Amino acid sequence: MTDLPTPTENASESVKGRSLWADGIRRLRKRGFARVCFVIVLIYFALAGLIFLDEVFGWNIPLFDWQESVGPSYQKPCLEYEWMPEGQEVSQKGWTIFGTDFLGQSTFRKILYGTKTSIMVALFASVISLLIGVPLGAVAGYCRGWVDDAIVWLYTTIGTIPGIILIMAFAVVLRSQTFFGMEIKGITAVYVALGLTSWVGICRLIRGEIIKRKESEYVLAARALGCSNGRIIFLHLLPNVFHIIIINFSLRFVGFIHAEVILSFLGLGETDKPSWGAMIDAARTELARNVWWEMAAATAAIFFISLALNIFGDALRDCLDPKLRTD
Amino acid sequence: MFPESLKARCLSRIVVSRLCWLGILLLFLPACKKDDHSVLSPDEIILNQRIRSKIQTLDPADVGDTASHGVCSEFYESLYSYHYLRRPHEIVPELAATMPEISEEGMLYRIPIKQGIYFHDDPCFPDAKGRTLTAHDFVYAFKRIANVKVLSKSWYIFDGRVLGLDDFREYTKGCSKGQVDYSRPVDGLYAEDDFTLVIKLQRPWPQLIYWLAFLPTAPMAKEAVDYYGPDIVKHPVGTGPYILKQWHRGIYLEAVRNPNYREVFYPSEGMPEDTAAGLLADAGKRLPLIDRVFWRVVVEDQPRWLLLMRGDIDINSIPKDNFGQAVSMGTDLTDEMKRRRMQLKLFDEPSTFWMGMNMNDPILGQNKPLRYAINHAIDREKFIDIILSSKGKCAYGFIPLIMAGYDETIKEWSPGQFDPQKAKAYLKEAEQLHGGPIPKLRLAIGRTGTVQKQTLQFLARNLSEIGLEVETELYDWPTYLEKMRNGSHQMFFSGWMADYPDVESFLSVFYSKNASWPNSTNFNSPEFDAIYERVSVMPDSPERMELYRQAQRIVLEEMPCAFTYHRIGYIIHHDWLENLKPDPYKADATGFGHLKYYTVDAAKRDTYRKTFK
Repeated sequence: MTDLPTPTENASESVKGRSLWADGIRRLRKRGFARVCFVIVLIYFALAGLIFLDEVFGWNIPLFDWQESVGPSYQKPCLEYEWMPEGQEVSQKGWTIFGTDFLGQSTFRKILYGTKTSIMVALFASVISLLIGVPLGAVAGYCRGWVDDAIVWLYTTIGTIPGIILIMAFAVVLRSQTFFGMEIKGITAVYVALGLTSWVGICRLIRGEIIKRKESEYVLAARALGCSNGRIIFLHLLPNVFHIIIINFSLRFVGFIHAEVILSFLGLGETDKPSWGAMIDAARTELARNVWWEMAAATAAIFFISLALNIFGDALRDCLDPKLRTD
Repeated sequence: MFPESLKARCLSRIVVSRLCWLGILLLFLPACKKDDHSVLSPDEIILNQRIRSKIQTLDPADVGDTASHGVCSEFYESLYSYHYLRRPHEIVPELAATMPEISEEGMLYRIPIKQGIYFHDDPCFPDAKGRTLTAHDFVYAFKRIANVKVLSKSWYIFDGRVLGLDDFREYTKGCSKGQVDYSRPVDGLYAEDDFTLVIKLQRPWPQLIYWLAFLPTAPMAKEAVDYYGPDIVKHPVGTGPYILKQWHRGIYLEAVRNPNYREVFYPSEGMPEDTAAGLLADAGKRLPLIDRVFWRVVVEDQPRWLLLMRGDIDINSIPKDNFGQAVSMGTDLTDEMKRRRMQLKLFDEPSTFWMGMNMNDPILGQNKPLRYAINHAIDREKFIDIILSSKGKCAYGFIPLIMAGYDETIKEWSPGQFDPQKAKAYLKEAEQLHGGPIPKLRLAIGRTGTVQKQTLQFLARNLSEIGLEVETELYDWPTYLEKMRNGSHQMFFSGWMADYPDVESFLSVFYSKNASWPNSTNFNSPEFDAIYERVSVMPDSPERMELYRQAQRIVLEEMPCAFTYHRIGYIIHHDWLENLKPDPYKADATGFGHLKYYTVDAAKRDTYRKTFK
């Protein structure tokens, strides 16, 4: 026999309900591997943030000084080597974990700096695509009629063009253009191009969710109280679909990192600063002279963040919106 | 009993099914064709060449791409060509009997044509027997290039050069296609007799001789053009050592020795090193040495490389991705290639690459010490070692090493030397002149590949070592050209390669009237311009060479460029292919019209195929 609480006991206790977020976090805590992945993602973000601050405030942290020559050209990874720095007459000893590039720069430091490049691109591209996709999807779903038709036509048209081609076209067109006195070049063109072309998915998702929820009681109540359409969309509906935005953000983040790598590989990315894509591009020709370490290091860096983001994104989706689970 | 409709339906199904089978059989029919290779005689000497792109045309007037040019040069010949072995390149008569008689003012060329030269045997001639070549065939070929209706890609050669030819072109504009009267006289282009061609120029043009060694100026038989009409692009009827046997577009071409080819012999003298290289082993032998040539069209790098490794083609360039597999330390073959007895041919290209500075830029243009500082900051040897994998030689001026006019002493006096101490001293001077630290400079390049990126990074690093900050900019070619034309650039990395052995084209890069393009440095020197204008109409002479050197000294005094390197070209071939001497003036390096000098040791090829297949 199990002791069941009597109706009287139950009524006397005040049971506090869990919010969607609290419930999600509780579920997430139970997933050990997802937590490990979250820590890995946090490390990448912390590194990117630290490098960003180092650049802004000029802290000159030696570990992030990727321009410094730390050894001879194409030095293999090794625990001790001897080399003669430029303009000096005394040889120096050094060690390197991922070897050096053609200018004797540390591949490890370039990988660290590449983290900042990739995270920045993915972050800005995500923000731009969310800023376009979310309001458009919400307005289309709520207003319907000709507004919906126009927005659906727009994203359907954009959606029919192959993604990478569209991104490349945008990146090429945006490069060397001046907007408000600022010239768009290098990595800026990449994340603007990514952001401008990647809002279709989130727009379609939000539109569907808003259509589903626009007749809910809380929306009807808000309407009965005389709230404006804008207030209903942005203060009542969007907070309730915010978890979808978060899930989408985490899953697409890795896609943006890959896109940056591909664009840099194609020569459309960063020109004078390290990025993982540019490193792989450079390594392509260097492999011919048995310089494998740059390719290996960049691939490993991409591999770990991709894996961690994918696993964490999947876990987040399962925890915040169990209905979307695919397994 | 079946109803009639069902019966009809069954019958129609049977018919459709049989038609389908017939269609499938027809599809396989071409595969049943007898293999042409099977008719080859075992004693024939065969060369297996490769082409990197589809052949567009075999009409000299229509040729505009390297692949077509290379193949077409085996069927047609020009008045002049270059000596196969001698360097620097030397013009020698090909269809001309002697070098041209040039009038004193350089405006009239009288060219005697060799007698006893026959066009290929072809159905376009009576009894399908090739007729004798005459001077009229050159007049016809040149007028054909001028004919607007022919849409020749080579009109630029004669545009505004030959007396009366521009008027002839104007006349053709009013004619309907096929109605052009080629007998219409042109004042500056006629046959004095059957074997003397006369060309009168509008103004002196000493470079004409190089153009007369260029395939588009090859003679054409009017009978062939009339007989084949637009199909002349598929039926080459020239005087060359080979005759086209078959052409499967996009797949391969086959050519056989021209049995009526005149008596031409392998040269018996060349450069001192040619004897050791075995290039004079066939001296005095009648050409061509090869009986049959196959050109396989292989567009992709990797399959072409694999065909070379299998021994199915005899010669190839080295694809970038296979460079490490083929060459070690930039100049020597790898052990694997040595085991396969491959031969690597390295040669100096007539090219110079430099980091240019915009002389109209307010920071660089008015600050000579700054330009000197930049010049002394570039570590050319390290650049060649790291960026070019040793495939280059240091440049101290713009005249390439292999061209007549190159100054052997330039290394001693040119300011373009790597010296960080001098660079820093000049930079101090430059800062005083500028009135403070030099602001961040911009360095651009017109391609976005890895090598270009590394080139800029390397140069920027060199400049940062003396204290100059540089921002690198990689542009696609059209954007880069636009930047050059509108003058919004500061520094840029560029180069120039000669098409023919005359330094004159290098001088055009610094001529003030060519400002913005090709003179992207916007260099402006009246003294230099005067020399350029003088040499461009001056016949080849020691005085002209001295003027070239003088012009180079004027440029080096101002240093609008940091001259960086002269490129080294390379080509790889099997050891059974003999007598190959690279021609650096041609994009393919095997040269155009040179197959007649090659020969093949078939026994070595068979051994290789047995060992490595």
